[in-house]
Amino acid sequence: MDFIYYFGDVFTPLSFLLLLGGTIGGLILGATPGLSPTMAVALLIPFTFQLEAAQGLILLGAAYTSTVAGGAVSAILLKIPGAPANIATTLDGHTMAKKGQGARALQLSFLASAVGGIFGVLLLIFLTPVLAKWALAFGPSHLFWLAILGVTVIGTLDSASVVKGLLSGCIGLWLATIGFDDIMGAQRFIFHPALGGGINIIAALIGLFAIPQVLTMFAKGRHNTGAEVIEVQRHSILAAFRELFSRTRALSIGTLTGSIIGLIPGVGGQIAGLVAYDQTKKFSAEKDKFGTGHSEGVIAAESANNAMVGPSLVPLLTLSIPGSPTAAVLLGGLLIHGIFPGSDLFDNHPDVAWTFINSMLIGQVLMCIFGLYVAGLAARVAQVPQSVMAAIVLALSVFGAYSVQGSMGDVYVMACLGIGMFFLERFGFSAAPLVLGLILGPIAEANFIQGGMIADATVGKASYFLTGGLNLLLIAVVLASIAYSVWMELRHRRYTTKEEAQA
Amino acid sequence: MNRSQHIFGSGLVFAVGLWVTWVSYTQQPAEAFLFPRLIASVFVVLAGWTFGKAVMGLSKVGNGVTRTMFINMLPGLIITLIYVFWAAKSLGFYTATTIAFFILLSIYDPAPHSEAKTWVKRGVITAIFVAVMYGLFAMLLNVYTPREILF
Amino acid sequence: MRRIIAGAALVLMGLTGAAVAEEYPERPIMMMVSYGAGGATDFQARIVTMTSGNEDALGMPIAIINKPGAGGRVGWNWFATQADPDGYTLAAYNVPHFIAQSIKGGVEYSTDSFEPIANWGADPAVFVVGADSEFNSMEDVVAYAKENPGKLTVSGAGLFVGHHIAALQIDKAAGTKMAYIPTKGGGAAAMKAVIAGEVMGGINNLSDAFRAQEAGNVKILGVADLERNAFLPDVPTMMEQGLDVDNSSVNFRGVMVPKGTPPEVIEKLAAAVPEMFANDRVAKKMEAGGSPMHIMTRDEVIEMWGQRQQTLNELLAGL
Repeated sequence: MDFIYYFGDVFTPLSFLLLLGGTIGGLILGATPGLSPTMAVALLIPFTFQLEAAQGLILLGAAYTSTVAGGAVSAILLKIPGAPANIATTLDGHTMAKKGQGARALQLSFLASAVGGIFGVLLLIFLTPVLAKWALAFGPSHLFWLAILGVTVIGTLDSASVVKGLLSGCIGLWLATIGFDDIMGAQRFIFHPALGGGINIIAALIGLFAIPQVLTMFAKGRHNTGAEVIEVQRHSILAAFRELFSRTRALSIGTLTGSIIGLIPGVGGQIAGLVAYDQTKKFSAEKDKFGTGHSEGVIAAESANNAMVGPSLVPLLTLSIPGSPTAAVLLGGLLIHGIFPGSDLFDNHPDVAWTFINSMLIGQVLMCIFGLYVAGLAARVAQVPQSVMAAIVLALSVFGAYSVQGSMGDVYVMACLGIGMFFLERFGFSAAPLVLGLILGPIAEANFIQGGMIADATVGKASYFLTGGLNLLLIAVVLASIAYSVWMELRHRRYTTKEEAQA
Repeated sequence: MNRSQHIFGSGLVFAVGLWVTWVSYTQQPAEAFLFPRLIASVFVVLAGWTFGKAVMGLSKVGNGVTRTMFINMLPGLIITLIYVFWAAKSLGFYTATTIAFFILLSIYDPAPHSEAKTWVKRGVITAIFVAVMYGLFAMLLNVYTPREILF
Repeated sequence: MRRIIAGAALVLMGLTGAAVAEEYPERPIMMMVSYGAGGATDFQARIVTMTSGNEDALGMPIAIINKPGAGGRVGWNWFATQADPDGYTLAAYNVPHFIAQSIKGGVEYSTDSFEPIANWGADPAVFVVGADSEFNSMEDVVAYAKENPGKLTVSGAGLFVGHHIAALQIDKAAGTKMAYIPTKGGGAAAMKAVIAGEVMGGINNLSDAFRAQEAGNVKILGVADLERNAFLPDVPTMMEQGLDVDNSSVNFRGVMVPKGTPPEVIEKLAAAVPEMFANDRVAKKMEAGGSPMHIMTRDEVIEMWGQRQQTLNELLAGL
């Protein structure tokens, strides 16, 4: 129980101040479109130069947990996911906000984040050695199948038509291939210099979600005195608590999926929310309500993306392998103080290791408290008149897209994708599957090619990709997922035709 | 009207699909285009299917863009295009944002144009917003955005 | 149009050159790193530039911007074609990476597109195997590779980066053919493949391998450099183990600006930046992070680039 012994260190005045600062700062940064958790943590690194190792890490740890949760604010209120992790939150969260339940959605999302987050950190505390083995078990072939599992989700995600959902996914997969191919270095589909670096996922996210939003607001025209201003109903925190714990299924599926997927190096956080959302939908008794402002959707997505925070650090802390971009940045924060993650960290610097982990635990609680406070305030954002909102979102998108890599190219790509997406949405395509394709494409491709090269040199492709327990398990899950979607589609179709016949 | 819009929309997607397929199968080196070929093949089939449905008038999902929507949207869209593709870089981010923000407010704010109060309010909102953006990006985060005129 | 404006700006700058150098830098400087945040290059770039805001250095902070992708090609392409040559856009270079890529083609840069400023580090490539591997020296590795041509899987950070060059050199020296597996996600992903046993061996940065060895995850069998490294005094070089592998694959990291940057600015940077690297605090942090430093001035770097260009031309000619 080493971690209890070091709890006191978190509560020294300076440490606690840093923890508070990191949490509040993280919430603000996370809520700013364009600033993903990775960016936010990287921006904070220079501040840690002046601090002691443990204190620097408290700041970084607190910022990491709260940026992930903070992304929910812009996802719910503005429909701009702060990071790929928050995509699933927009699906139901924003529809809730539109119905005037912004406060409720935010409260639920922060509470769910805290529950998931604390669970994830507890896993990190108690199961690190076991989890480390798990994390290593995923080789290229497994990651490939995992990405394919993600692809099977595409068709049913937030689209009224399966074919159009799949087509949106294909467009996303294609967009992901633009730019230099990562392994061979060949140029693909670069028809404009702005595409030389490929399509940046954060810039694309902003464009695909925010710009259609802006154009939709424009399309409503000049409305008389705030007829369209969204009412925000007050919502008591207690009620949110009660609701959260009556949705135990969504909460537990979200938390578990997030923890497991967060553990896998290289895939982790980006798809945890989406996979959890999809699983919850499949197991829910109220499937049809998903996408229409159903609280289960928000709970599943947010509990998953914060549950992933703890496990995502397992490979880093035990094996010194950063499993996600954010973990890589944290590694830098450790190295600057001369601390090597791995056995060195826990043996020779237990104070640093455990203070860091504890600060994430306390950080989750603080994040939740401040989040709930913000929920009260931020819900007023929805009361901003449309004209102002449209202009704010547009300007934020431009600044956000630019600040990702300091490049105008990203801003152009953001705007083109956004304007295109607006029209596509009017024809029944949707942004979520498209983004999922954009995220999964490179994972599937790189692992297929890399696995293929290893396989060619050793056992051959067929036995490399198709044998072994983990491969077979993943393939079984993929097949089950496809079968389920087909079955649902057929059942759904029978019902609709019946209804149509009756009508 | 709706049908012709669907034909146009899915036709465009289909055209992109054909182009992607053509490029994937003709470009070299072949190994680098293995994955794009796979995607393109599925892409073009699905896009063809959607296009076919649209031509036969079977597209049900999606409402298209109505004339009023489009007319309402047009000024905003034009300002957006000018702002993003020209002004942001040529005038500098903050100057361009100030101007674009103010114009958009003026176009879409329902308050009457004839009162002086309206204009003051619009000006104040713009100033506050740009000040917040400047504080956040330029001072706090140290993101260097293009600056040509003023700040 | 852009070119005309840039040209006009150049003329103007030439006229007011002295004044420019006097005032430079008057606003924060940006430095592009063509690898992801948290990678070895990014990490070191952040450390060596941390004192640039001091009065005795440049007096203005340097902000790091990451443009990762395709083994660095994305960032350097951007830098060669789109960066403004005004002294406010710097980039980190990795030699031999960008030189090898320019020789293989498909990119829009070469050594002629950039002006080096100074070098801060030299990170040799090392051969690593998992901690429980049966290989204990390069001899074992070569023996296995000879018996099983094309079957020895070796991971590295990408095609035509230092790791790949080292693999090619080992193959050439020993007359073997290893299966080089480039990973997406840089050195960290390549190291993970070694530790997880997905591949039989790997070529990686000395700094990262040193850390992994400290953590007990890998064994380091050889260093691809002319001399043993201070971090790893017990690990023999490839030469000592009978493999004719020189220091061509050593990953030199430093700062450069695009061609066309005013000479006064280059001069000022070339004078100030090596001083900045030599700062005590920088050295301490670099050492703490296990990153070998190697400061070189602009003239030394120009010479080093020339040598690499030649050796790589020869090495890559046969491919």
